[in-house]
Amino acid sequence: MVLAEAKEPNPEFTRKVVEAGGKTVNLCFQCGTCTGSCPSGRQTAFRVRKVVRRAQLGFEEDVLPSDDLWLCTTCYTCYERCPRGVEIVDIIMALRNMAVRKGYIADAHKKVAQLISKTGHLVSLRDEDKALRKKLGLQETPPTVFAHADALEQVKKIAQACGFDKLVETGGK
Amino acid sequence: MTAPEPQNKGTPQGEPAKIAGAALVPKVGVFVCHCGSNIAGVVDCGKVREAAEKLEGVVVAKENKYTCSDLGQAEIIKAIKEHGIERVVVASCSPRLHEPTFRKCIQQAGLNPYLLHMVNLREQCSWVHSHEKDKATEKAIDLVLMGVSKATRLEPLEAREVPVEPTSLVIGGGVAGIQAALDLANMGFKVYLVETQPSIGGKMAQLDKTFPTGDCAICILAPKMVELARNPNITLLSYADVEEVKGYIGNYDVKVRKKARYVHEDKCVGCGLCSDACPVKVDNEFDLGFGQRKAIYIPFPQAVPLKYTIDKEHCLHFKTGKCLLCVKACTNEAVDHEMEDEILTLKVGTIIVATGYETYVPMKKGVYKYWEYDNVITGLELERLINASGPTGGHLIRPSDGTTPKRIALVQCVGSRNKKIGNNYCSRVCCMYAIKNSQIIMEHEPSTEIAVYYNDIRAFGKGFEELYHRVREDYGVEFIRGRPAKLSEDPKTKNIKIRAEETLLNKITEREFDLVVLSTGLRPSEGSKRIGKILSLTTSPDGFFQEAHPKLRPVDTAMDGIYLAGCCQGPKDIPDSVAQAKAAASSAAAPMFAKKVTIEPLTAWVNEEVCQGCGLCVELCPYGSPELVPGQKGGTKAHIIEALCHGCGTCAASCPQKAIVTRQFTDDQIYCEIQAALSEHGRKQAPKKRAEAEVSG
Repeated sequence: MVLAEAKEPNPEFTRKVVEAGGKTVNLCFQCGTCTGSCPSGRQTAFRVRKVVRRAQLGFEEDVLPSDDLWLCTTCYTCYERCPRGVEIVDIIMALRNMAVRKGYIADAHKKVAQLISKTGHLVSLRDEDKALRKKLGLQETPPTVFAHADALEQVKKIAQACGFDKLVETGGK
Repeated sequence: MTAPEPQNKGTPQGEPAKIAGAALVPKVGVFVCHCGSNIAGVVDCGKVREAAEKLEGVVVAKENKYTCSDLGQAEIIKAIKEHGIERVVVASCSPRLHEPTFRKCIQQAGLNPYLLHMVNLREQCSWVHSHEKDKATEKAIDLVLMGVSKATRLEPLEAREVPVEPTSLVIGGGVAGIQAALDLANMGFKVYLVETQPSIGGKMAQLDKTFPTGDCAICILAPKMVELARNPNITLLSYADVEEVKGYIGNYDVKVRKKARYVHEDKCVGCGLCSDACPVKVDNEFDLGFGQRKAIYIPFPQAVPLKYTIDKEHCLHFKTGKCLLCVKACTNEAVDHEMEDEILTLKVGTIIVATGYETYVPMKKGVYKYWEYDNVITGLELERLINASGPTGGHLIRPSDGTTPKRIALVQCVGSRNKKIGNNYCSRVCCMYAIKNSQIIMEHEPSTEIAVYYNDIRAFGKGFEELYHRVREDYGVEFIRGRPAKLSEDPKTKNIKIRAEETLLNKITEREFDLVVLSTGLRPSEGSKRIGKILSLTTSPDGFFQEAHPKLRPVDTAMDGIYLAGCCQGPKDIPDSVAQAKAAASSAAAPMFAKKVTIEPLTAWVNEEVCQGCGLCVELCPYGSPELVPGQKGGTKAHIIEALCHGCGTCAASCPQKAIVTRQFTDDQIYCEIQAALSEHGRKQAPKKRAEAEVSG
């Protein structure tokens, strides 16, 4: 039998969450309206109420490394229905920013973020898109960084200068 | 009423009045209170005392842990006697709390009670600046400086005594109003009870049984209603509205509109022949639309007074000029379509406000689909549907098809504890009425499945927790900790699916029910808002009337002579409403037994020599206190009817001639405070020096 590890709340972490944008975290009274409303929770084990609870108690090690954090689609249904006015999506965004700085990021998100540094876009240009553009009488490659290599260099420079690259790879360390 | 000889002879501006036998700066005593740690925990009271000591005029400055205690008061008395102090400054809490205490205290020592000035170091300093101790101390010193500066200009005033009319007005005829009226009547006072509806009884008359004991609501209320109607000391004015209230404690003039019920109350015997004859059927408000009534009706069988009323909006005669079947049916010639509203003028000494509550109405486009799905009803609607005298004779049916629901969900906290809609408060009765109703349903139909969706169960009263356990243990009512996130209706069966998280299991559940009952909360009634305006009552952030002090004066209002009873002050259950009504009755009785009451002398006074009789004050005064009269030396002059003056200062502030002085808030006193507040070197430059500077400058 494994004994459950006793944990202590960490108000310091909760304070950090509040400062990072989750200022309404302590208004939550755990009614579960958010979880019941959550479209992601219908398909997955994601329980948004628990994320908020862990943030309230300051259980940093439960919340930041957790894959759950990345299952929210930021659809704002919970935000809309919450009777306490808890800005749930803001809390999740705050937690995600904190998680990334600790080096926790979902692989899929990491790949998308890397695309910005590589191509200047979140979504890459596929052959189907090019064909569709041609059919509409548009130039195949849109007049963005896709068509302007020099502009892409500038984007890359910016991504490097502001530490975005490093943030994605290592959490900025 | 004639004004007593004005005590404040100081001109509105300029030199302070000289007090006979006193030096220019009178001797001031300053008493800085720690209030335990309430003030001393933030403000460095030692520094405040030291700063006060240095002020000119200050002969004694002391600190006390609790200045309001016996010890603290004794010290003030001692200082007055030993040092001949002429003005007392107490730097402690809000004057709303202890001004009367300290006035009495200095009076005991032989000083005029109005030679006291209170500096609020608690509500206006330590409590609001708890994180900035140094700045709070600085502010406290400034406040004391201002206070001392004003105190040097205080002048003795005499309180007045006025007689109290031994009659009370009770507004609202629910259980609270009924109880308050009965108590006062039984003490021997005359009471007018004004109720806007055709019958008294209020919301309690609509309820089925009461928690936690299961007494039938109307069975315990109806005898009280009858007792009230028969009490010779009580005049029941049903179907009537309070329109105007003027005056002050002991002497209120009240205007009441008695709405035309088109039936003469003295002739109607309540036989119901008129109603039998009436061809018009409309939804009965008392049954919340589930039952019907005629256009000439009594709201419910136990109505008091048992007098019929014509609903003008639906009566055929008022619509077409014909019909008159009720007139023909009445054997007593009681029905009279020509009747008109009557205006009554009452003279009362005290007023009890018992204007009750309304239930929260779910949102039109809300998640709970109250307006879209037939089988979603409110708790009060359920009360009517399980009530033996209700539209179904107590057989619970669901609205869509009239069948008996087998699976029922009760949803808690609808319209309560909801920050988003601005109702942050707990309505205090919903947990228990849901639990009580589930017991009643289970007693009728033991095979029913009941699930209560709750967030916290609040079973705090006597016998409440026991009832909560009983419905779980004996009746198997299920309690699901989670707030429904989504309701959907099966278009064929009209059953309702509830999607919610069972938070204790961390599982999302979806369950089907035949009937969903929303346990809607309580909110202030529209009538309360109207009466609140008429009486100038303040409300707390939740919209309910504000009591004078949350602990020590829970049934008084800031207006002397006006008291609160029941849910108009905040959500409460029947026992609490009755208890508060009894308390309000006892509070209202005190000045009526005493037959007289002391009125603050902090009123306005007109300097006739300066007044030009422009009449601006007459126009602006919210209390109708100033009037224009021929002056002693000719011309038209303003005159303050002191009994009506509340000392608000509107007239003084607006007078273009500065002819009006509000006692204890004279321009001179206020300028003195402002100067003290603004002066950088104020702490060094004493009031006397500044006064000299003013004169020479």
